[in-house]
Amino acid sequence: MKILLLLILLFIVPPAVMYAQPGYIEVTAPGNRQLKLAVDSPHSLGLPPNNETAKLVSDIIAFDMNMSGVVNAEGRSQQVATGNLSLVDSDFVPWLNAGFDLLVRSEYSLKDEHLTIEFRLFDVINRKMITAKRYLGSAKDMRRFSHSFADEILRVITGEKGAFTTRIAYVSTQTGNKEIYVMDWDGHNPLPLTKNGSINLNPDFSPDGREIIFTSYKRGNPDLYRRALSNTAEVALSNRKGLNITGIWSPDGNKIALALSKDGDAEIYTLDRDGSHPIRLTTNPALDLYPAWSPDGKQLAFVSDRLGKPQIFVMNVDGSNVRRLTTSGNYNVNPRWSPKGDKIAYSRMTSAGFNIFTIATDGSSDTQLTVDGSNENPSWSADARFICFSSKRSSGNGVYVMRADGTGQTKVSQGKTLYFQPVWSAH
Amino acid sequence: MKKSLVAFLAGISIAALLAGGCANKEVVKKEEAVVPVVAAEKTDAAKRAEKAELAEQSRLAEQARLATQVKPAQNEVMSSDSPQASSAAAKNVFETVYFDFDKSDLRQDARDVLSKNAAVILKSMPRAKIQIAGHCDERGSAEYNLALGEHRAKSVQKYLTTLGVKTENLSVISYGKEKPAVNGNDEAAWAKNRRAEFAVVK
Repeated sequence: MKILLLLILLFIVPPAVMYAQPGYIEVTAPGNRQLKLAVDSPHSLGLPPNNETAKLVSDIIAFDMNMSGVVNAEGRSQQVATGNLSLVDSDFVPWLNAGFDLLVRSEYSLKDEHLTIEFRLFDVINRKMITAKRYLGSAKDMRRFSHSFADEILRVITGEKGAFTTRIAYVSTQTGNKEIYVMDWDGHNPLPLTKNGSINLNPDFSPDGREIIFTSYKRGNPDLYRRALSNTAEVALSNRKGLNITGIWSPDGNKIALALSKDGDAEIYTLDRDGSHPIRLTTNPALDLYPAWSPDGKQLAFVSDRLGKPQIFVMNVDGSNVRRLTTSGNYNVNPRWSPKGDKIAYSRMTSAGFNIFTIATDGSSDTQLTVDGSNENPSWSADARFICFSSKRSSGNGVYVMRADGTGQTKVSQGKTLYFQPVWSAH
Repeated sequence: MKKSLVAFLAGISIAALLAGGCANKEVVKKEEAVVPVVAAEKTDAAKRAEKAELAEQSRLAEQARLATQVKPAQNEVMSSDSPQASSAAAKNVFETVYFDFDKSDLRQDARDVLSKNAAVILKSMPRAKIQIAGHCDERGSAEYNLALGEHRAKSVQKYLTTLGVKTENLSVISYGKEKPAVNGNDEAAWAKNRRAEFAVVK
């Protein structure tokens, strides 16, 4: 059985992606062992320690760092008697003896909802501090600050900042209708956005993460709306006759690509950010939809059934140079361009359901990432380290997050209803 | 009341005969409008057989329709120019059209149904605004199904136009796979969900 599993893993993960990608600092301890990170519970200044708060902070950082796959992290209870952030040589001994290479220590004070928290990352082997950050805010910022320091740890270790303070918007049926919600990337703080009792679909974040666009039937027709996360006002961006669907913000935030059917069947258009000046990019009797910008804003991937079945195509942003990207499989949809530009994630339907794939932009390295259940609508994290997607599988339906090579698949959404069309914010 | 119903039934049968006759020529898969003139090419015998069959079909359809019809709404909807006919009651006047998986072209059974629906429109509500809603089964992506559902509704719209229904009276909307008619994960359920439904909107 184990051998079988290994064979399956070898099959779905080609050797190339098992190694660190170029540009990353090689992060391995002597003997190719994965680095071990201890996340000590934060020390409370002034007040008696609050175990819940302490566990929350160490759990968040350990979860983020374990998900990254870069280190093997473990939340630990306080082992340094002094409770001071300035460690002396002898303070490192118990951590060294326990086999840790890195240590996070922190201390916080919480007075009248005013939170001050300072984190420090130590190199246990060389007994020195690597980085430190101090945050001022309110009690509700505890999670965000912890995620933010996890970003910093990842930056120090890999040279690239993490995306752990970002959010995921999604569609859920928990009220019985398809409404749009937003949550932290790890599934915490779920917040309903729409409450119109209609059908709401395909949210997408503005590049600054402060607004979303989405399609809603709330006035009868599937129109494209825009709203700020901090506000309930919704503006119709495109309510042209027919479909106004699969809208996606350009990386610079100045344009929106979407599918409209005002001139017949579904075709790809771009609009100005206020919904004006539609420019038609595809002219084909087939269905064209679900555009996805390249990170430089110069190309769009999209779905078209011009050859009979839906496949992924790529074109220049003026509609020229259309070429087919996916050549395997009969039904390939949901393209999303990696923020690094080298790959496109998509989902492929077979008789067994959907699975997530990635493919290089030249059509090579077509790689299946999921095998369990049915998995749709991939969306990349801003650092391209992770892909989120919706999954229906025996271990639980919901929004899942995995590393870009398909490892570490973890359910992050907390509800028990169905989840659809997750999309990851860039900020 | 009874008299007008009988008159209506007679009317609808004749309309169905006319429309049905046209539709039947579609067996040879002509894509565009088939005008009544073409029917004259048929031999008398063939025409008689066809008419008998259509009359039977239309009688059965009428029975089914009457069985499901909400009584109080009947006269309003039938006299048809009433602008406020509720879509729920009006829906039952029309039969739903079904499609094959990932297809938007009309099967013969769909063409037959549309002939009947066209007859109802032409006879009883020539000025009614009718919305055609395209739907898909649960397979396939939600987004692609929105486009496919619209394609289905537009196939229906185009065909009804060839049968003489005014195109400006027909609007389309797609619900993709968002509003299944029945729940279920098998072909029986899927077949019932790949459909186009009709509603009088004003």
